[in-house]
Amino acid sequence: MSGDGIISTTDLNLWYREKHALQSVSMRIPKNKVTALIGPSGCGKSTLLRCFNRLNDLIDHVKITGKITFDDHEIHAPGTDVVLLRKKIGMVFQKPNPFPKSIYENVSYGPRVHGVRDRETLDRIVEESLRHAALWDEVKDRISDSALGLSGGQQQRLCIARTLAVGPEVILMDEPCSALDPIATAKIENLIEKLREEYTVIIVTHNMQQAARVSDYTGFMYLGKLIECGKTVQIFEHPAEELTENYITGRFG
Amino acid sequence: MREELLKTNFLEGTLVKSFTIPLSALTRSATHARYSLLKEKSIQTVFFSTAFFAVIVVTFILLFLVRDGYPVFTQVGILDFLFGPDWAPTASEPLYGIFPLIVGTLLVTLGAMVFAVPLSIGCAIYIAELASPRAKSILKPAIELLAGIPSVVYGFFGLIVLTNFIRVAFDLPTGETWLAASVLLGIMALPTIVSVSEDAISSVPHEFREGSLAIGATRWQTISRVLVPAALSGIAAAIILGIGRAIGETMAVMMVAGNAAIVPDPVWNILSPLRTLTGTLGIEMGEVAVGSDHYHALFGVAIVLLVITLGINLAAVAILRYLNEGRVASAAKKPFFSARTRARILFAAGTLGFSLLLLILTAAPPYLAALVLFGGGGWYMVRPFIPENRVQQIAFVFIGLATLIVLAILIIILQDIVINGLPALSWEFLTTSPLDSGRAGGIFPAIIGTLDLVVGAIAIALPLGVGAAVYLVEYTQEGRMTQVIRTGVDLLNGTPSIVFGLFGFAFIVLYLGIGVSMLAGQITLALMVLPTVIRTTEESLKSIPMALREGSLALGATRWQTISRVVIPPALPGILTGAILSIGRAAGETAPIMFTAVVFSSRFLPDSVLDPVMALPYHLFILATNVPGSSMNKYGTALVLLLLVVSFYAVAIAARTHFQNKMRG
Ligand SMILES: Nc1ncnc2c1ncn2[C@@H]1O[C@H](COP(=O)(O)OP(=O)(O)OP(=O)(O)O)[C@@H](O)[C@H]1O
Ligand SMILES: [Mg+2]
Repeated sequence: MSGDGIISTTDLNLWYREKHALQSVSMRIPKNKVTALIGPSGCGKSTLLRCFNRLNDLIDHVKITGKITFDDHEIHAPGTDVVLLRKKIGMVFQKPNPFPKSIYENVSYGPRVHGVRDRETLDRIVEESLRHAALWDEVKDRISDSALGLSGGQQQRLCIARTLAVGPEVILMDEPCSALDPIATAKIENLIEKLREEYTVIIVTHNMQQAARVSDYTGFMYLGKLIECGKTVQIFEHPAEELTENYITGRFG
Repeated sequence: MREELLKTNFLEGTLVKSFTIPLSALTRSATHARYSLLKEKSIQTVFFSTAFFAVIVVTFILLFLVRDGYPVFTQVGILDFLFGPDWAPTASEPLYGIFPLIVGTLLVTLGAMVFAVPLSIGCAIYIAELASPRAKSILKPAIELLAGIPSVVYGFFGLIVLTNFIRVAFDLPTGETWLAASVLLGIMALPTIVSVSEDAISSVPHEFREGSLAIGATRWQTISRVLVPAALSGIAAAIILGIGRAIGETMAVMMVAGNAAIVPDPVWNILSPLRTLTGTLGIEMGEVAVGSDHYHALFGVAIVLLVITLGINLAAVAILRYLNEGRVASAAKKPFFSARTRARILFAAGTLGFSLLLLILTAAPPYLAALVLFGGGGWYMVRPFIPENRVQQIAFVFIGLATLIVLAILIIILQDIVINGLPALSWEFLTTSPLDSGRAGGIFPAIIGTLDLVVGAIAIALPLGVGAAVYLVEYTQEGRMTQVIRTGVDLLNGTPSIVFGLFGFAFIVLYLGIGVSMLAGQITLALMVLPTVIRTTEESLKSIPMALREGSLALGATRWQTISRVVIPPALPGILTGAILSIGRAAGETAPIMFTAVVFSSRFLPDSVLDPVMALPYHLFILATNVPGSSMNKYGTALVLLLLVVSFYAVAIAARTHFQNKMRG
């Protein structure tokens, strides 16, 4: 894979108790590009994604070996500031998970926990994040209403705005459109299109067309292994592995 | 079409050119990072301490019981203590054999279960499977109300109404008998068994129900052959919890059992008086000389009692936990016992039921015995020839009957106390001090004393309990330490309230030298409700979706920020509901405060937390058992206590329903 790697893994293995969920995964995520992770259900895409911001720390009985670096820092090194890591690597989840608070509070939550107190700064961050997430026009008159009153697609864009508000360098997206209808999906895809100018995006998706549309690079996973990884055009048009070709063309089973 | 969609959306997006978040405001210096790490660590330590507190309390309870009970084992000898046939601690040649007390405890509990189990399971089946949503919305709170009635009020009702009924019905000199105690304890165990069994039946996966109905089984066949077997281990746990509740009960049983320390003769004579372990403690602890042999013997009794109840409660907890794990861990682990285990359980239950039947038959008049025997035998013969829908009708009649009986019990108790208590209620009754040993005057100091006690108790228990729950749910990975803490909480939960009373007396009153005082009562009550606070808080924390925590952590919030800003606010209603329930429970308890905090009569309010107080439950207890006459004031006190406790429960239940609806809506 070419380009500057911002995140890379070397011989990464992960076990949930006895379940060997990631098997010797080595990959490099290029900076300021969109990388898609595809593969059949249960192959370990979410698990891999959650390794990058160490969210798997929350799960009991997880064992990890191998190396993950972010900006040349090893993220499992002792003394790593996980809080700072997660600030720099934001995440958008499969199901929108706005906090049961107002829209404003949702977006300002991140800056607040990172110590921004000044009301004007917060106002500006909220507005810019919402604009950036293409949600501002839809919610600007109801910014103090509960976020739970938004539609699913709006909630997901709110979660993206919430992530943008802490100024991350990388954004992880785990099937961000799977709970959304085609119109909302198109909005999110547009958003990703814009985000790639300033951020590194890693997106998990089950939708081949979506992967082809939005990503520069694609990794194909199967049963916990990274089978193939490269430029999206290449993966989709001339995959090196037969497994990849079968999956992409839908001849699988 | 698709292309167009994309295009319009693209144009519609209004992107600010450059994104200008002041990153300087967001970056952390190394010192700041270290400081915040330190802060997290100290917060975690605080929470750990609160959680570990439960373990410390259990250790101390054991330690002090053993310290004060040990001498009896060395002097009398363990075997002579446990199996000695005579309990005569005040005789000139004192005898400390607790065999009749152990037998009494077991018999009373057995009788209570014979009464409660069929009614409870019938009622649980009705609520889970047959009741309309409306009926359900009446029945469930009714059952909780039954659970909320203080035990001293049950005892009072038993003493005045139930024993009298038994005396007349069986033509006895006194109605204070094993039968009275068992019926009363059965009623008190009902709510526990009903609600836990109902939970177990309701949570049998829907597919089982549909699968059975889809192959043409009747509803009754589905219930009796699929649902109840699937819920069997849950029902077993419910019964064990009910047993634990019955064995640990003091006040009610002590007021109606007659308290003769004898083994009934013959042993199935349910009309004989008897005496339980708890009753012995309740009666004698108040009058014993500290440090005497008798004193040590009473602590020996408490140890035996504790061992029995803890064993029972741990069994129930193990079963429930096994079930819950089975449910989440894998779908393959079905909620059924293996066929062999089930056969064994059924065999044991059958044998037990049959011997009980015999037992009751020998005690009952012969025509009744004949009726039951012929009825049962006849049913067994004709059963195969009756169409399934007729069987279903018959079964449903019995189930409905069980439910009606439960409701009737509730109504009888409430109406008796309300009708007889209302005339006593007056402004004067509520606001003046008692006169003439409580026969006249009011109960003002008792009301205030009870409020003092519960407010203090909850002020102590709430921070500790919430802290422990936060630690258990939010901070730990399941491991050995959480196991230890959870076991500590379970043990505390299974400890009979009279044992808390003894511990409070030995440790707080005597050892710490605080004396019989409001403070000692508050601490004792706090320890007693601590497990409830922990449990309910845990439940409400667990009900907050993991996704919210992940969302917050993924933004780089610390654990404490996540807990305090994202997790606790929505969990607050649940936590407060638990607190209110605990207040209700504490307000109605007598046994823990009997030796630690109360005086019977006091014209004045306490000056400080180091003074003893009056309390409603204790006042009622003394009026009912030691003060003849004054029937109106007794009922008045019972009604006020009932109203006080029930209003706490009502608030808690209403709040919970409100917030549940809000969550769903
Ligand atoms: N908390 C967990 N405990 C145990 N096993 C887990 C856990 N989370 C995931 N797994 C297992 O690890 C494997 C990989 O899961 P993962 O969620 O990463 O798959 P995925 O590729 O994201 O699937 P999907 O496309 O369905 O989201 C699966 O077999 C899953 O069952
Ligand atoms: Mg996934």
